Amino acid sequence: MRNRLKRAALLLVGSALCVALTAGAASARVDAGRTLSVYGLGGRDDVAQGRLDIANAMIRNGGDSVNNPVSGFNDQAFLARLAARDIPDLVHMGRDSIGTYAARGVLVPLGNCFTREKIAKADYRKAALDQVTYKGQIYGAPEFTNQITIVVNNDALRKAGVNAADIQTTNWKRLKAANKKLLQVTNGRLTRIGFDPKIPEFFPLWVKWFGKDLISKNGLKAQLNSREAVAALAYTVGLINDHGGWNKFKAFRDTFDFFGRNNQIAADQLGAFPIESFYYQVLADGAPVNITAKYFTNRKGGPITMLSGNAWAIPKGSKNPGLACKYIKALQSVDAWRSVGKERFDLRKRQGRAFTGLYTGNTKADVKIYEDIYQPMGNKDFDDAVALLVRAPRYGFAIPLSPASAEFRQTWVDAINRVLEGRQSPRQALDQAQKEAQAAIDKAK
Amino acid sequence: MASVAGTREAGPPSRARLWLSRFGEHETWTAYLFILPWVIGFVALTAGPMIFSLYYSFTDYGVQQLAGIEPTKTVGFDNYRELLNDPKIATSLKNTLIFTVMTVPAKMCVALGLALILARLAFAAGFFRTVFYLPDITPPVAIGIMILVLFNGSTGIVNRALEFIGIPGPFWTTDPQWIKPALAIMSIWTVGGTMVIYLAALKGVPAHLYEAAAIDGAGPWRRFFNITLPMISPALFFTFIVLTIAGLQVFTEVYTAFFGAGSTGAESPDAALMNVVYLFRQAFEFFNIGFASAMAWLLFAIIMAVTAVQFLVSRRYVFYQGDSR
Amino acid sequence: MSAGAQENLPTGGAGTLTPRVPPADVGRVVSRGRGGEGPRFGWLKSVPFVILLGFISILALYPFIWLISASMKPQGEVFDNKLIPDNWQWNYTGDPTTVPGDEKLFNLPDLPVLTWVWNSVWIGLLAAVVVALSSSIVAFAFAYFRFPGRNILFALILATMMLPGAVTMIPVYLIWNELTKLTTEGGALAFLPDIGVNTQYPLWVPNLFGSAFYIFLLRQFFLGIPRDLFEAARIDGDNYFSMFRRIAFPLAKPALIVVIIFELQAKWFDLITPLIYLRDTALYTLPLGLKTILDQQGAGGGGEGRWEIIMAGTVITVLPMVILFAIFQRFFIEGIATQGRKG
Repeated sequence: MRNRLKRAALLLVGSALCVALTAGAASARVDAGRTLSVYGLGGRDDVAQGRLDIANAMIRNGGDSVNNPVSGFNDQAFLARLAARDIPDLVHMGRDSIGTYAARGVLVPLGNCFTREKIAKADYRKAALDQVTYKGQIYGAPEFTNQITIVVNNDALRKAGVNAADIQTTNWKRLKAANKKLLQVTNGRLTRIGFDPKIPEFFPLWVKWFGKDLISKNGLKAQLNSREAVAALAYTVGLINDHGGWNKFKAFRDTFDFFGRNNQIAADQLGAFPIESFYYQVLADGAPVNITAKYFTNRKGGPITMLSGNAWAIPKGSKNPGLACKYIKALQSVDAWRSVGKERFDLRKRQGRAFTGLYTGNTKADVKIYEDIYQPMGNKDFDDAVALLVRAPRYGFAIPLSPASAEFRQTWVDAINRVLEGRQSPRQALDQAQKEAQAAIDKAK
Repeated sequence: MASVAGTREAGPPSRARLWLSRFGEHETWTAYLFILPWVIGFVALTAGPMIFSLYYSFTDYGVQQLAGIEPTKTVGFDNYRELLNDPKIATSLKNTLIFTVMTVPAKMCVALGLALILARLAFAAGFFRTVFYLPDITPPVAIGIMILVLFNGSTGIVNRALEFIGIPGPFWTTDPQWIKPALAIMSIWTVGGTMVIYLAALKGVPAHLYEAAAIDGAGPWRRFFNITLPMISPALFFTFIVLTIAGLQVFTEVYTAFFGAGSTGAESPDAALMNVVYLFRQAFEFFNIGFASAMAWLLFAIIMAVTAVQFLVSRRYVFYQGDSR
Repeated sequence: MSAGAQENLPTGGAGTLTPRVPPADVGRVVSRGRGGEGPRFGWLKSVPFVILLGFISILALYPFIWLISASMKPQGEVFDNKLIPDNWQWNYTGDPTTVPGDEKLFNLPDLPVLTWVWNSVWIGLLAAVVVALSSSIVAFAFAYFRFPGRNILFALILATMMLPGAVTMIPVYLIWNELTKLTTEGGALAFLPDIGVNTQYPLWVPNLFGSAFYIFLLRQFFLGIPRDLFEAARIDGDNYFSMFRRIAFPLAKPALIVVIIFELQAKWFDLITPLIYLRDTALYTLPLGLKTILDQQGAGGGGEGRWEIIMAGTVITVLPMVILFAIFQRFFIEGIATQGRKG
């Protein structure tokens, strides 16, 4: 028994070593011309792949090649490559990460690139571009907007006897009353959330209601404990506390089948909430629902929204910045967007699913896709929603970037959590956040 | 060796001479040969990085320095001074200590209990061994879901069961007071690895000891305290040390549950901020690598102190069959 | 045998754990278990324990069952938390000519899942066996030999466990990067196969040098072997290495199997090391592959959110470990009957 085990172990080690040595030799790659090394594009759905095909073809026609492994952007891996001076020519990451890297000088401003390739800044949604602008320079080429609008669950409203007009964000008193009426408690348990203000995530939206931002335009002065910010926090926490407190609220919200067929709208668990645009696709795919899409409005009644998404950037030390810039242009041309928009529409048709639009971050492309490709699906609710979604991005705003964007965000997220847990009042929490945030910014300047 | 000249020195050779003379022995050089693999690895792969990280802790090392955009500046003890000023450091250390104290003894007891039962079962032992090891290899995503579903404050089975017997269950996943116990339960649940070590140790207890004790009339408790515990004390000692070190460095489970991409990222409760989680955040989200290195060495010092104490305390209680060392 | 039994009970160096001789009247006769090891419960006595364990098992099994059932559901129902799916859907293999965007797990474009399984298997096994061998040699030295510097070196070994890996990650990467530069074309060691970044060597080569955790564990086990066994061999003229090979190594088999199981599991689920070293998808191991699937099929920024595929991938990641463990644990519990005891 013992000898057999030993022999088996030796055999295993020996064969594995053989495999290891030969596998190691198989990684050489021979290329003619230049190779554009790309990092950070993980999602390869039809919308991404279609554009990649176009861009890759363009590169190959120029006698070069592309190395674009399937891998999402990861900070540790990127840092390791920077340290080893093995810098990718082109990276793809979330727009909120771009700020932190840009402020540290890791990325190259794209002004020259845009001029050379004749990429018009005006093509991009302003708010998306603002998200990647630092000290007046643009550091990323944005994709997607994920604009936030309010989804109203008409079935829930009907059952609760709430007027649809009351679900709006201009008049906070009315909203609070509607929230109270819409939420439902059965046998001491929460069974329907009225209006979910989505804090901490969407806190900047609530502060923008006053027309204020959380940080100064130049990104150097934190404004977290302004009167308006404290009022916004107090109000939204109040909406949550009307449900019986954060614990009950969150515990109930955790039971939602968020992405599923029986999602919280279809299952009458939620009255209304602000959410990004992708959610309309989830709703369309799920059990039948009766919804209305509405803008988030500020105190004057004007629509506002926040955008999020990804962007392409060129790191400092990239060996092929010119090629990288050409690649960006090919990936984001209006024609490229149109062609993948059409593919997506056709795919949805083949799958028997609704097409709730594509929101690319390129204004011209968005309009073209809506006008040329989109066809009403016969469901008035969703058709109206799509019409709203197409117009929403122009009302977007972005939080100005600071030298310490990640830490800045963390301070107000932590502050809001402290208030939700009942450990501090809104003013105390935001005062503390203001101190911490300003210290972080000053240190990083 | 036996012959001695009359004019030799009168007393025994000095300690230093004894120590040096050991180098001449065959046993010493063989020992060094045996540990050579580790030494090579240490020199090549561990010593350098450890020294580097110590160096970083005295600098302002961040992304710019890492990428070569700016030169690295030494800042003396600034990072260490910052450790004293940052309230989150104190919070994270407190959380980590509480977590460790909650989990280590509990894990050892549960694992030992399970191992004792499993070692003596007449049937189904193999099945249960595999089942109890499953949590160790269940990926965090499934564990996270389980926590959210089973421990949900309003609809979870745990609270419904508690209600059934008249206790109102707390909001495990949101109430800051209950987050650490929830994390502790999650950690104790992955007890399979420790259990397996104890099972292996129990196998090493000579059977004839039990028989002799039974013949002398020893009951099960006495057998446990006077035979089982001492004979497996090396394994107990090992798990005590290792679980403590692991507890003080807890990261993955907490990060995936409360801080990483798995959660919505917008909730990061202070009550769940463990030391290494905060370290990771400082290093890879805020890019303050110099500061994070200082944190790491502070944690290192703490762990070393704790382990030294554990070693000293163990001298009285750990019994090795080989020799009393 | 009973005459000498009392002398074999632990005494001396165990401090306060010296047993006292109990009175002569006996409570119960201890039954001899299978293989003659320790007391065993009879069949009847086992039943209540089995029931108790059964209840606890439910907790241990729940997430696993949840996972398997979630991997068999259609997209819209993955998170409905029903342990038995309302609608069954096979998400692992399928007709490769289906609509793009609807591929099953093993047919995902550009993602060689089967290769990943194979990579994880051979790297895991290789790393585990290598670390067991190297660690046991080092551990034996610390357990058996007396040599100058022994305590300091052992403390140093323990110390390496105390520094969080996050801070040494990048410097270690830089070391491998240097090695990469040396072994690719143009480097001083170009005659060697490519070693370093974007190869799988960094995943298992460090195990050639032992690991503090296993050295510590095995040292504890070796310390438990009575010295007289070794003395007998020394007197017979054995040299140190064959003492190790013929006495210590076989006796530590339960511990070695534990080491192999642990390391296999650790390597199997390790994400961060493959994440920063591997670039080619063909070289990935399962956790990294799973993350790639998550990037590709998850719901971030307009993705499809095909959770059923992700769950299926997770099951593939977990299932081999379960099977392997179920097989291995039999090895060290049964079949290794003797510990070399002579009554």
